[in-house]
Amino acid sequence: MIINAISKKKYPWLISLLATLGIIVLALATFLVYSRTSNNLFPDSLAGLAYGTAGLIFLVLATAGYTFSRRSRKRTVGALNASLHWHISFGIIALFLIFLHSFGHFEPVSGTYALFGLVALVISGVIGRMLDRLVPKLIAREVNIALTEQGDDRLESVTQTLQDITTYHKEQLHSFKSQPDLMVAEKDMQTAAAHLVSQDGTALPTSWDLAYISLAETPQEIERDAEHYRFVPDRKSPLSKPSALVPGLQEHMAELQTVQQALQRERFYRAIIRYWRVFHVCLTLLTIGLTLWHLEFAATLMFPTYFH
Amino acid sequence: MFKLLKPNPVILHKTKPQVEQEIQACIGCNECLLACPALAEPITIDVLNRETINGPISAPVERFTQACYQCGACVSPCPVGLHRDAMMMWLKVRLLKDPNGT
Repeated sequence: MIINAISKKKYPWLISLLATLGIIVLALATFLVYSRTSNNLFPDSLAGLAYGTAGLIFLVLATAGYTFSRRSRKRTVGALNASLHWHISFGIIALFLIFLHSFGHFEPVSGTYALFGLVALVISGVIGRMLDRLVPKLIAREVNIALTEQGDDRLESVTQTLQDITTYHKEQLHSFKSQPDLMVAEKDMQTAAAHLVSQDGTALPTSWDLAYISLAETPQEIERDAEHYRFVPDRKSPLSKPSALVPGLQEHMAELQTVQQALQRERFYRAIIRYWRVFHVCLTLLTIGLTLWHLEFAATLMFPTYFH
Repeated sequence: MFKLLKPNPVILHKTKPQVEQEIQACIGCNECLLACPALAEPITIDVLNRETINGPISAPVERFTQACYQCGACVSPCPVGLHRDAMMMWLKVRLLKDPNGT
């Protein structure tokens, strides 16, 4: 089944995982044998130096292997993925071997700092891989909110709808104002009053004119059946809400806000992926520095004549 | 490393018409797939392009879509300046809407 899975490339990490487990088990077995047969359980013992050297080799392989593979011109499809799995694998093996190299001595010296740096580096890598699995799914969820069912920009679609609503109501309001043009109506009334005449052609006295009240509808009056007829709402009425006279506005504004929040979250998730990688690279540089410092310290202990 | 620190001011996802436009502009050089650290099995660019827009999504393309972690390694090698990461995001959204990819 395992061979079948490897050959179908369903689990590309399987080979590197098996290799990691194999090397760890081998290192652990030699460590147990050595600790039972020898009393010299220190980092500068023969086994300690061997573990340290092996750990350093794996650390170099983990760092340089993936870096060179990414910059290589000769690549095949899937080669970088395999290289990434080996990068993780070598990192974990290096951490394990360096732990064995310490033999449980964690005094505040350069080696301990280098080990802590390596621990932080491997943990950041593991968290980074977990983020790589999780964050793109969250981004996809936010993008799904930001796009319509047809795959168009929802922000643009909602903005367009809002614009249509505003234009429609603006037009309605404009027609409401222009229909009973008060100024014109007032003028007409004055003209009509000035030219009022009796049935036989003689002008009527002013007082009589003023007493005349027509039952016909004046232009100032609003028809009850007119489209723009509005009740004046009281305080408790739902009509007193700001958007009550513009239906659909509130819902669209809420949708707009939801899309904007989704876009902000998308940006934040992308920043997490980007800056976690930067953090991992910074930790790598720090660990390399601490390791070089420790190697220099170890060299002064091992070859005192060269360094004095 | 300094390239990583450069802030990215725009939202990277694209709409369906934009994705279709980018796929039409793809010259099929395969550079994006060669630079991808998430791609484990051989997938041809024409299959990926075809399945990105519409139609059923095959199992290898689905696995690749799930594995893509939007690192953007595919963008800089593209000789015509396309955004394969945005196309992959569109595929992710398609799978989110329809997990069977039909």
